[in-house]
Amino acid sequence: MEGKTKFVIAGLLIVAAVVYLIVSSTGSTAHYFLTVEELLAMGDEAVGRNVTVSGAVLGDTIVYDASKPQVTFTVVQVPGDPKEVERAGGLAAVLHAAVNNPDAPRLEVVYNDVKPDLLQHEAQAIMRGRLGEDGRFYADEVLLKCPTRYEEEIPAQVEGP
Amino acid sequence: MLAEVGTSVVGLALAAALYAAFAVYKSIRRTDPRWARSGHNGIYAAASLLGLALLLLLAAFLGDQFEVRYVAQHSSRDLPLYLKASALWAGQEGSLLLWSFLQALFAALVVRGSLDDHRGWTAILLSLITAFFVGVTLFLSNPFALLDRVPADGEGLNPLLRHPGMIFHPPALYLGYVGLAVPFALAMAALITREVEGWTQMARRWTLASWLFLGLGLLLGARWAYDVLGWGGYWGWDPVENAGLMPWLTATALLHGGVMQEERKGFRVWNLLLVIFSFVLVLFGTFTTRSGMIQSVHAFGRSPLGPYFLAFIGVTLVGSLALLYTRRSLLSDPRSMDGFLSREGLFFLALVLFLTLTGSVLVGSTLPTLTEALTGQRFEAGPEWFDRVTGPQFAALVLVLGFCPLFGRAAQALTRLRSRGWPALVGAALAVLLAVADGLNHWTSLLGFGLVGLAGGTAVAEIAQGVAARSRREKEDLLRAVWSLIRHHQRRYGGYLVHIGVVLMAVGIIGTRMYPFETELVLSPGEVVDVGRYTLIFEDLRQEEAGDHFSTYAYLSAYRDGEYLATLTPRLDLYFGSDQTVGVPAVRAGLREDLYLVLAGYSSSSATLKMFVNPLAAFLWLGGLVFLAGGVVAVWPVSAVRLSVPQARRRAVRDGVALLAMFLLLTAAGVAMWGPGHGVSAQQTGRPLPGQPAPDFTLSLLDGSALRLSDLRGNVAVVNFWATWCPPCQEELPILQSLWAEYSLSPEEALSSTYQPEAVFLGLAYQDQESLVRATVARMGLTYRIGLDLDGRIARAYGITGVPETFIIDPQGQVAFVHIGPVTAEQLRGELDALLGR
Repeated sequence: MEGKTKFVIAGLLIVAAVVYLIVSSTGSTAHYFLTVEELLAMGDEAVGRNVTVSGAVLGDTIVYDASKPQVTFTVVQVPGDPKEVERAGGLAAVLHAAVNNPDAPRLEVVYNDVKPDLLQHEAQAIMRGRLGEDGRFYADEVLLKCPTRYEEEIPAQVEGP
Repeated sequence: MLAEVGTSVVGLALAAALYAAFAVYKSIRRTDPRWARSGHNGIYAAASLLGLALLLLLAAFLGDQFEVRYVAQHSSRDLPLYLKASALWAGQEGSLLLWSFLQALFAALVVRGSLDDHRGWTAILLSLITAFFVGVTLFLSNPFALLDRVPADGEGLNPLLRHPGMIFHPPALYLGYVGLAVPFALAMAALITREVEGWTQMARRWTLASWLFLGLGLLLGARWAYDVLGWGGYWGWDPVENAGLMPWLTATALLHGGVMQEERKGFRVWNLLLVIFSFVLVLFGTFTTRSGMIQSVHAFGRSPLGPYFLAFIGVTLVGSLALLYTRRSLLSDPRSMDGFLSREGLFFLALVLFLTLTGSVLVGSTLPTLTEALTGQRFEAGPEWFDRVTGPQFAALVLVLGFCPLFGRAAQALTRLRSRGWPALVGAALAVLLAVADGLNHWTSLLGFGLVGLAGGTAVAEIAQGVAARSRREKEDLLRAVWSLIRHHQRRYGGYLVHIGVVLMAVGIIGTRMYPFETELVLSPGEVVDVGRYTLIFEDLRQEEAGDHFSTYAYLSAYRDGEYLATLTPRLDLYFGSDQTVGVPAVRAGLREDLYLVLAGYSSSSATLKMFVNPLAAFLWLGGLVFLAGGVVAVWPVSAVRLSVPQARRRAVRDGVALLAMFLLLTAAGVAMWGPGHGVSAQQTGRPLPGQPAPDFTLSLLDGSALRLSDLRGNVAVVNFWATWCPPCQEELPILQSLWAEYSLSPEEALSSTYQPEAVFLGLAYQDQESLVRATVARMGLTYRIGLDLDGRIARAYGITGVPETFIIDPQGQVAFVHIGPVTAEQLRGELDALLGR
């Protein structure tokens, strides 16, 4: 075989293998990125699937049992599209509007872990986990942002993978 | 006043950078060196002005000038001095200023003294890049912007950033990022001037140094995450971490491609593509961290910079690729390539793998946007996704790395493999055996360890063979041979060291990624808990106020397989101003595994802890150090040509300064990362745990007699450490007295013919005075044996950390029960009944 062709084929084979890895991993391990509303709309179809869902935390609903440890709380629908958030006056305004809107869709979250420091009223929670059959969301990981406290939006809190 | 001066200085720097580009262009068009000199002066002026601006900003920080918004947001009066200085780059505005300064400084270093067209175009491009960053700083993100109302105090530095690693992590990354603009400019200038061959050689030191600093920055970032973020890990495939990793990967590929271009005049298009990708990925990284698009701990807040960076990225990418296309005829490579089993073939495979890895990370970082565009459904890639996608590619790279030194030309490949392949096999077998012996025997990890052993074996054998051969040939002793080899073949041996570092890091990555252990514990004071091979005793919760925060320390003594290991003190800091809490983990590092504790919360009666065991984590940091050392060896300046004496002297001074600076930075960074302990202290001994023999002692009793613990063999001993100055002990004494009365044998029982074990109570007064002890004994009417441990010898042997503590020792002389803090009658009764068989 001509020297160069061999190399081109080898390179393409590696690239093809990596593309396969990416596609198959996306199917099996990637998370759906959904808003509360979209998740609820999927209903039973969403049960058991890897999902990332984001919402505004309702401070009054936070219940923490340190002995398990387990924390449960309710989040309210916020739009997922950054442009929509921008139009509505930024993340802080969106979060504030969400928690004060009694008609917005809500989701109860169960997180079997230590209560994160930044879990508080009007924080934005980004949760990875699965919707349970009881309609509650079982989170493996909770990422939080409190845009009102710092002008810069750090720090989000990282929870372990 | 200072702020206005600062803004104008930055404005002048912008003008100087733009003028420099214009003047140098003019000199090329008119072939007039005066214009070039003037242009160079423009670059020097820009660098000096930006340096001055940095000093002004530093002065504003040190002088607590809170009318400057950036200072008010990132500093406060009570911040320690070193943090005030590092707050300079804690936010976007300051870090952009630092970036601009470094860019101008590097431009000045590159163009200095050279007047040819290639350097001219390099100067123009670097001036324009500098101008872009200065312009963005000045118009969109001015660090000298003022507040309308001057606050009394600043908002302080984000507590998460108050870590020594944060002093070095950002500048190291910036040095790497900014440095990569230089090879890019050199390459583009080479295309413009059609001198496409020599640029990799000119760019080599720059590429190496930038790559080294980028690697250092990534390592420091990982260590910071491990030390501060408290989730037990060091790399979360966070988009911002990825933004630093991608240019590092392409720069690594570029270093290897550069070697091939110098050796065989091959890979020319590859290298140009790699240098373009590296620079564009740097810009992309700054774009993702600053555009507010991505949620991450490392990200700066939202800002209007996004569109400008995107436009700059677009112009750079389109412009450089178009330039490459127009010069394609210069770059064609008529030679046919050697086979796969050759050095060239393996370099090719490595380059492909570096690129697919970069591509994979890029796809993962932008997966939500990508999938939304393709399918309308947003998917997000978590760490699992990245591990699955990149794991096999990294493994393949390690395989290539292991074989590469064994191959020269394809024709001799098999003979060489037969004669020199054995260290690889030995290494692989050794690594697998060690892993199995250590219980890490999942098949994928064994495959990984095998690959790692193979690569490590080859790298070590290459160095050893080189040293042995030289030592024989030149009749040098071994140390001398190592030194001269490194001196004469810096790049090769530096490269081997880097490879060994990478191999060691791979060991750490396999261990921590494949065998992580994590659990949550809720402990009450004095509680003893067994987790796997570990025993933890929760001693105490202590609190203290420290400046602007309130620290709560949890004291835990940790035992492994019953052996006392260390006392760990994870803590939780509550910052008054922001009400933010920051957990600072405690890490007991060991070669085999790290014990990592986080205090997650506490109440008056309990503490909630997260416990992680990270196998082989130490290899990651160890490998990091070896990696950095190898990088320094490779980048170490040695002049190949003989210079005249004054030239050589000047060169020596310059190199000396550069070396000293690099050495200081690396050492400081190393100390910041690997230096002082992380919430770990060790006493001489720990407590004997249940099941272990009780240390023997002789106690002088108050009645003047002495008692040896071993004389009580056959009986049960209750050993209580107490003190007259300890209120909880006073409450405990009556309980001990009444139990003594209850469990001691009556005279009839003692005289009966059948032997019965007895419960003997011993009170040991700890750090006390004899008169006070006697007074207390008399007042409380204590009748069990009380002795004095005035010099604390017995207390140390029992590893107690305070009073009261109580041990029960069984008839065989082994510890049966340990209790820290006041003990209740029920607890003692339960243990005594079990031991005495009542």
